[in-house]
Amino acid sequence: MLGLAKGLGYTFKRMTAKKVTHFYPDVPFPMPPRFRGIQHFSPEKCIVCNQCARICPTECIQLTGKPHPDPEKKGKIIDTYDINFEICILCDLCTEVCPTEAIVMTNNFELATYSRDELYKNLTWLDDNNTNVREEN
Amino acid sequence: MNQGILTTNSTISSDTGIRTEEMLLNIGPQHPSTHGVFRLVVKIDGETIKEAIPVMGYLHRGTEKLAENLTYTQIIPYTDRMDYLAAMTNNYVICHAVETMMGLEIPERAQYLRLIAMELNRVASHMVWWGTYLLDLGAMSPFLYAFRDRETILDLFNELCGARMTFNYMRIGGVKWDAPPGWIDKVREFVAYMKKELNNYHALVTGNEIFINRLKGIGKFDQKTALDYSLSGVMLRSTGIKWDLRKDEPYCIYDRFDFDVPVSTDGDCMSRYHLRLAEIEQSLRILEQALDQFPSEGEVMGKVPRVIRPPAGETYVRIESPRGEIGCYIASQGKDKPWRLKFRRPSFTNLQILPKLLEGENISDMVAILGSIDIVLGEVDC
Amino acid sequence: MRDLLQQTPSLGNALWFFLAAVVLLVILLGFVTYAIYFERKVIGWMQARIGPNRVGPLGLLQTVADVAKLLIKEDTRPKHADKALYALAPILAYAPAFAVLAVLPFTETLQFADLGIGILYYIALSGITVLGVITAGWASNNKYSLIGGLRSAAQMISYEVPLVMSVVGVVLMTGSMNLREIVLAQQDMWNFIPQFLGFAVFLVAAQAELNRTPFDLPEAESELVGGYHVEYSGFRFAMFMLAEYVYMFGMGAMVTILFFGGWLPIHPALSFIPGIVWFAVKLLLYVFLQFWLRATMPRPRVDQLMSFAWKVLLPVALLNILITAVVISYQSGMI
Repeated sequence: MLGLAKGLGYTFKRMTAKKVTHFYPDVPFPMPPRFRGIQHFSPEKCIVCNQCARICPTECIQLTGKPHPDPEKKGKIIDTYDINFEICILCDLCTEVCPTEAIVMTNNFELATYSRDELYKNLTWLDDNNTNVREEN
Repeated sequence: MNQGILTTNSTISSDTGIRTEEMLLNIGPQHPSTHGVFRLVVKIDGETIKEAIPVMGYLHRGTEKLAENLTYTQIIPYTDRMDYLAAMTNNYVICHAVETMMGLEIPERAQYLRLIAMELNRVASHMVWWGTYLLDLGAMSPFLYAFRDRETILDLFNELCGARMTFNYMRIGGVKWDAPPGWIDKVREFVAYMKKELNNYHALVTGNEIFINRLKGIGKFDQKTALDYSLSGVMLRSTGIKWDLRKDEPYCIYDRFDFDVPVSTDGDCMSRYHLRLAEIEQSLRILEQALDQFPSEGEVMGKVPRVIRPPAGETYVRIESPRGEIGCYIASQGKDKPWRLKFRRPSFTNLQILPKLLEGENISDMVAILGSIDIVLGEVDC
Repeated sequence: MRDLLQQTPSLGNALWFFLAAVVLLVILLGFVTYAIYFERKVIGWMQARIGPNRVGPLGLLQTVADVAKLLIKEDTRPKHADKALYALAPILAYAPAFAVLAVLPFTETLQFADLGIGILYYIALSGITVLGVITAGWASNNKYSLIGGLRSAAQMISYEVPLVMSVVGVVLMTGSMNLREIVLAQQDMWNFIPQFLGFAVFLVAAQAELNRTPFDLPEAESELVGGYHVEYSGFRFAMFMLAEYVYMFGMGAMVTILFFGGWLPIHPALSFIPGIVWFAVKLLLYVFLQFWLRATMPRPRVDQLMSFAWKVLLPVALLNILITAVVISYQSGMI
């Protein structure tokens, strides 16, 4: 009987103890600085080296480049850049290999949508996703 | 599946002349106490289990096959999803295997960070077990207390590597991130808190008479059976065999710490319950020492070639995960991708004893026994 | 109320009866609504959560929303269910739970029927509920329901025996089975002191009768995924829920009446507080105990539960009867 009483005593004490519930949808939930959220992509920095697409374990990044419009300059600039968030596992490897930090993580994580199609994020969308960008990458 | 189980017998009692019939009951794949998509076909006579066949594979993703087409760095995020309650140990085992093959030197600070992460993860994993086990047995509150405290650990991991469960924290040759400023102190604070809170766990559950009666002598097996079934971890230690790879085959830097390996000789569910809680205590002890010894500065990433190509050959390494002995076998042909990769998953191996344990038990002991094995379906099906 | 019963039957007082029953039903529904709300709140607090807080101010309308959702839900029935029994079961479970309230004296004057055998009526009617549960388990044609149904049959019938036996002591002391007289006999001392053994047995057995934690094996959501009401949805499921909580009300009232002096105040000096308030306070304390237990206890195994009833509770109850009988005989000079 003592064990039962002890347990009851503990739950009773907890009644007035501090609650740990987060008020998440009402109050935004702050994530620590290193948090791996939806990527931000800056097209001007990209050198179309394809490393991110190659390192991606789920092959969710697709990109194409085009020749530099300025004939004086060499290299390519980015044309299309798509991330399929249906299969992206936010593993951080693309941001890790990027030599110019064109692709970086942000602290945004809300990806719920009504349709699967909306999970294909293109270059414009990823460029506009420029809030809470992670400092160190 | 064993076809024999599909035939049910009916018998006529010699005293009463009443005809009774055995019944097939499908427990799962959607059932609250199978901890995931696990199916158990049981033949029951009244509430007594005559035969049980586990059916698994509902969560099979072919990690091992997929890994053959991935570079070693790319495999690490996949291992996060095997034993998702203790992803740090999975991270470690694959990195450890590759590092062993290539003979890489790991910086001191990275070793400590790995160890702290693994031990914190062990505590978190045992806490999930504690909570869900009590939930299986009908007590609701322990689950929430355990998850509240585990939340602190997940927040610590979130600060460390930016994810709460799928860490992808370790890299071949070191770790991805150094500890953020103040992180070590936060861990120290948590360890001190958890040491006190553990007493409350015991007060709430351990002495409860209903709970003790429910578990004493249930799911019993002896040393020989345990060895025959190749059990490991708490399942093995509950029969009195003192076997912990952290002690017996020290990897990482475990040989620098002073800790005990709790063993019990009862071999029943109650002893496994006590062992897991004792392991939390020991992990906290290791953590305390590791935090004190933590080097004040240093590199977290060793000298690693740009493309990781382990030399041709094969290797098998094993470490102690919260569930038992997790092993990683790599056969390499000197390319940047493994020729064959195989994980020895403790959940899968430990689960094999389930049909034997369930025979002749009451159906309400089913959840108690299955829970005490502590399986993670992501790891069972891999 | 009692005078009304003595009158010659007429359309007028039939209407009164009907109205009184409706008023009781409304009060009861209000009780159930907020019992569920407080159950979730209290358990939430105990678990470091805050409980329902989204629907209405402080989440006060949460249960209302839940019930509304249940009522507009599709009424499903498994294809191979026994149609008639499947429909009958919720009624069979609910009707007795409401009917037992008729004999409960809430205050000295507020009582629907003042039966000489109030206790017997209560126990006899409450025994019918188990039929509803078995019927539900059988008619659903589901293996989990069947196991749940049979478990509860075994459990509720076994625990009815110690439940009845534990009350005998109180009856012996009072010399009456009338609930009102039992309360009035507790003017000097509440029954739970001299009848402590009986009270303890009653409390445990009542828990099993109510199918509530720690004896919620018929439902056992972690093993039987809900037990006898697995296949029920919508309004029929609501009936089972309602029966459970109305029963809790009934059992709470019973404990109050039998062992805690019903509407009597703690001390005669406090009698300026109306009796109904005292009754409500005692009842609510019992209801709180239910929530508290639910937040703490794991559930025992089925065979342990049964052997506990027959090997512990029943002998203790019998011992209590013996002791009570001996003491009463001694006091009245028979020994």
